[in-house]
Order: sequence, then C-alpha cells, then structure tokens
Amino acid sequence: MKHLSSLIAVLFLAALPSISSAQCRSFAKNKCMPAMAPYKFNETFNAAQLAPGEEATVDLTFYSGQSYRLLVCAHPILGQVNWKLLDASGNSLFESKADDPKGSFDFKVATTQKLTVQIDVPAGDKGGNEMMTVGCVNILVGYME
Amino acid sequence: MRMIKTLSALAATLALAACGGGEQPAQDTLTVPPTDSTAAVRAKRTQNIFHNIPSPMETAGLLKKAGAEYDKDILNDVRNVDNYTAASKQALNLGVYGADLSYASVFNNTQESMLYTSCAQKLAKKLDVSDAFNAQVVDRLEKNRNNRDSLLSIISDTYWQVDGYLKENQRDNISALMIAGGWVEGLYIAAQVTKAHDTPELRQRIAEQKLPLVDLLALVRTYSPDDPAVSSVLGDLQTMDSLYTDVVIPKGNSTITQDNGVAVIGGTAPLAALTDAQLAAITSAVTTIRAKYIN
Repeated sequence: MKHLSSLIAVLFLAALPSISSAQCRSFAKNKCMPAMAPYKFNETFNAAQLAPGEEATVDLTFYSGQSYRLLVCAHPILGQVNWKLLDASGNSLFESKADDPKGSFDFKVATTQKLTVQIDVPAGDKGGNEMMTVGCVNILVGYME
Repeated sequence: MRMIKTLSALAATLALAACGGGEQPAQDTLTVPPTDSTAAVRAKRTQNIFHNIPSPMETAGLLKKAGAEYDKDILNDVRNVDNYTAASKQALNLGVYGADLSYASVFNNTQESMLYTSCAQKLAKKLDVSDAFNAQVVDRLEKNRNNRDSLLSIISDTYWQVDGYLKENQRDNISALMIAGGWVEGLYIAAQVTKAHDTPELRQRIAEQKLPLVDLLALVRTYSPDDPAVSSVLGDLQTMDSLYTDVVIPKGNSTITQDNGVAVIGGTAPLAALTDAQLAAITSAVTTIRAKYIN
C-alpha cells in the first residue's frame, strides 16, 4: 500500500506541470487581472508553481517613457508572499513583505532597462505530516497606452 | 515530459484563438500527500523564470508614441499566407502576422486587423493549435471590429490562450519560432518606419531591442539542439546580436523619485541611440532575415 501511494504520488507529480500551468493562467485571468486596470496587460504570462519555502525570479524589460504596473498575485493557499523589485545591480527598488503586503507597484523608468522580480514564499511552520501544497504565483505587467 | 521547474515567460505575438475554450478546473492549487509518513524537509529551491520578451503590441505602441506613422505596405502581404506549408514557416509567420496585427490594431486600422486575424487563423489551423479560432472568438472579433479597445483586448486574450496551449502540449519550439518571427517583424517595422521618418526617438526604440534580443536568444537556444528550424533561426538572431554589440544602452542610477504619485526609477541618463552605420546595418540584416521568413 505504501508503494502504491508512492507510485500514485509520483504519477500525480509527473502530471503536475501541465495541469498547474493551465490553472495558473485561469487563476491569473480570473483573479489577478482585474487589479491591472486601468493599465493594459502586456500579454506576457509569467508564473511559477511554488511551495512554501521556495523562490522564483524573473527578469523583465521596461521601456523608458512608459508607465507600468507590476502585479504579483499569489493563490490564497500560499498566503501572502514576499517579493521585491531589483535593478541590474541587485539594488532593491521596491519590496513587499508578507506581513505588510502590497499587491502591486506603479512606476516609470527613466531609462530602458531590465529589472528583476524576486519572490519567496514564506516557509510553513507546520511539522509532522504536512501536506505538500503548491500554489500559483503570477507576475503580471501592465502599461499605460 | 519535462519535469523542469524552469519556466519560460514568452511574449509571442499573436491574436490567435484558443485552445478549446473549455472550463478550467475549479481547483487552482494542488495538494499532494507526502510520499513518506515522516515530515520531509524540502530543500529550498529557486526557480528562474526568464526568457521574457516584450510583446509586439507594446513595441507597436512605443513606435506610435515615438511618432511613427502607419504604412500598410511594409507589412507581410496577406496573400502569402497560403504559401507556408512547412510547420516552421507557419510558426514564424504566425509571429509575423501577429506583429502585423498588433501594428494595425495599435494604429486603429480595424479592416486590416481583421485581414491579419484571418491570416493568423489560417496558420493556427495548419499548425493544429487546438481548435484554433473557434467560431466564438471570430464572432467576437467581428462584432468588435470598430471598437479598438475591445479588439485589442480580444487579441490579447486569444494570444494568451494559444501560447498556453502550445506550452501545455509540449510544443514550446513552435512557440519559440512564433516569438522569433514576431520579434523580427517588429524590428523590421521599426526599421522601415524610421527609414520613412528618422527621429532620435525611433532610433532609441530600435537600439533598445538589444535587451529583449538577449532573452530571445536564450529562449531559442533552449530548443535549437533538437530542431533544425529553430537552429536556423538561432543563427539569424546571432547575426542580429553581433550588430548590436556596439550599441550602448545607458544605465541609469537606482534613485527613486516621485512624479505625481508614481515612482520614477533612475535619474537622468542619455537615451539609447544608434549611429547611421549601426542603423543601416541593423535595417539591412533584419530586412534580409525577414524576407527569408516570409518568402
């Protein structure tokens, strides 16, 4: 029985990416995108399926003269996540902490450049027979036309 | 199936219709029982999501803001759509027509937008992208043809769906070709409108394509060992990359100021620029590459 449950778990995990990708997109569209208005979504879908204790980073190009909204939207199953915006030198430009969350950041860049969004999901504090929970974290960018 | 945790963020060009349009599962998260009865300590893992390329829609918007004028004659002829029989050509030109669609839409040319949508529809069908362009999407596009904002929204939405479908069906190489085709067409359009009306702002936007090109190269490189068509495109992008070697993208500082409640990152710095020689070389190369894709 133990081997069977392990096999089922492995098979389930093997199917995980494609199921979760579709769900992440659905979650982004239905739950995250409304907060983008009045900015126009830039059509670039960035998402990660993360568990507590995991991190993700994404590099994005931002053009001078554009006004942007950066939206980090995590599924409630993960609770609030920490995220920050870094420049090419690693300097923190904006930070949102799980205990003081900010869902979005509106900004402009004086010069076109790449910035990095870094996300980390606070580790759970449950011990023992903890369920392995994975949730979607979407990083969405909108701009003003 | 690749169990990689590295995700690619793709900015493909497209107004293509979606995959099946069925209801998404209600459950957005997955809860998996541990494989061992004792609590396992999960090693902290970092996922890197990279390969992000700004969309042709945004690029077209930047060109418009920079003073570009609309010229339908520079776009890929809609009659060429029937010439694309190889899947690689279909994928590249799905990106090309997607960029053309973005350009036409941003400049509010709804009639041409519908023509390019039709081209994209044909290619999507040839590529077997789900039930590409189901009747619902086409109907919505037709009903909103005179409403620019709605049209752009539908285009954006369907683009999402196609991109998602390709990735979820392990056809990332097709997606990579689409993105490459879209980027090349976007750069070609920028070069042509600059030829017609050369301004520092337009040159700036061409120069800045150096940044997304780095990500595009990384994306395409991922698939090039397995796909000769992708390898060929990689070679083309490397050619472009060599022309951007001496193009300088000035770096601003890390100061943050406020402008009417909006944070502004970076202080004053010169804007990216191109010399006449650089502009000529980039224009010539992208024209040649683009011709190879569309002919």
